[in-house]
Amino acid sequence: MMIPDWKLERFLTGDLPEEEMNKLRELEANDAVFANRVKMLREDNKAILSKLPFETLAANLGTGAAGNAAKIAAKNAVRFTLVKFAAAAMFVFAIALVAFFAQRETSVMNERVGGDVATVNGSQNTQVALAETQSDTRIKGLDARMEVWKKTPAGIVQLNDLDSVGEGDEIQLRYAVPEKCFGLLFSMDGNGALTLHMGDGVKAIELAPGKMNSLPFAYKLDDAPYFEKFFFVTSPKEFAVEENDVDKLLKRSDVKVIGFTLKKAGK
Amino acid sequence: MKSLETLKKAGFAKIYEKYAPMVYRRCLQLLRDDAEASDLMQDVFLRIYSASERLDMESPSSLLWNTATRLCLNRIRDKRRRGLDVDSSSLLLSIACAEDEHDDYETKNVLAKLFLKEPESSRTMAVLHFVDGMTLEETAREVGLSVSGVRKRLRGLQAKVKTLEVQ
Repeated sequence: MMIPDWKLERFLTGDLPEEEMNKLRELEANDAVFANRVKMLREDNKAILSKLPFETLAANLGTGAAGNAAKIAAKNAVRFTLVKFAAAAMFVFAIALVAFFAQRETSVMNERVGGDVATVNGSQNTQVALAETQSDTRIKGLDARMEVWKKTPAGIVQLNDLDSVGEGDEIQLRYAVPEKCFGLLFSMDGNGALTLHMGDGVKAIELAPGKMNSLPFAYKLDDAPYFEKFFFVTSPKEFAVEENDVDKLLKRSDVKVIGFTLKKAGK
Repeated sequence: MKSLETLKKAGFAKIYEKYAPMVYRRCLQLLRDDAEASDLMQDVFLRIYSASERLDMESPSSLLWNTATRLCLNRIRDKRRRGLDVDSSSLLLSIACAEDEHDDYETKNVLAKLFLKEPESSRTMAVLHFVDGMTLEETAREVGLSVSGVRKRLRGLQAKVKTLEVQ
């Protein structure tokens, strides 16, 4: 879930209605991307106030009519360059992307969705464990969606957002889109490591509409703490994830992002 | 004994410390220039301070956000009219430069209009809706109008923007 800037600002100042404040507090506790945005904005707040302290303004308070305010302020404005929020976000994601491209799962990144079962290298990936349940369910007219399932001794169970999981759990991702589009599916864990589960290298792949698709491999959770967050990104146009571009991608107006967070139990 | 002015400044300092970063980032988002953003941010607070006795300062985030938006749009429009380089998206430029019947009045009486709770600027609404991504309901809540009122104002502005694009 991408929170727009104006709402995030009001969250920081505590000016949202209580219900929304609570929702975002919970999101901050469980969603690393959102928590990062909040953290960086708090740091940015300090930088702004240290560069433009109240004293700079105080000297001009009450000295003139509002009509002169701009002139006064302009005369006394401190010129400075801040490390902008966006730049900081890029930096964080640049680090994460190093992990992203270095991961062993890279070997499966180019696997195209479509086959029922794919043999995958790497200990964290196992062959698909799920039956093709509802594989022909038509979803025309609905929004794109993503499902997360877990393999248990008793069978497979569908997980809900913010459900708890543990190290070693086998997770299967499924998705569906209502119309022809391009899509990417990746995850971020509590160590900040990104893993691409579906895509063509760094590019989104073309997705066929109309039925629920299982990814050709299940995903075994490692020991990363706190959470595993999945992102399903779709767009009518082709798009790619480039280095430093993940945060920008998630904010783009021409893409739809579906997020799904699993809490890591006992972490 | 502290003077009233000193007490007023002390109270305002708290507001400044809480909201200045938000206002600064808002200005930077629209103007894309550090120096101009800090200039405008101080302008916003100076104006609010001078009228603070008439304002409800309990939860001023909307007031500060909308004032910053309005002043930034005026700045963009003025620069454009003076033929200066403006580093803003074409959507923002279109919104900032769209004329409406309140244009001249608004330029001279931004705060008077705002504080007297007269109709909000269509341009500010347009930025809240088209640039910030607020829904019509959120925009309406932000500016204190009905959803249908906001829709009507935005339709009018869109028509003016189209006219500008044709010219």
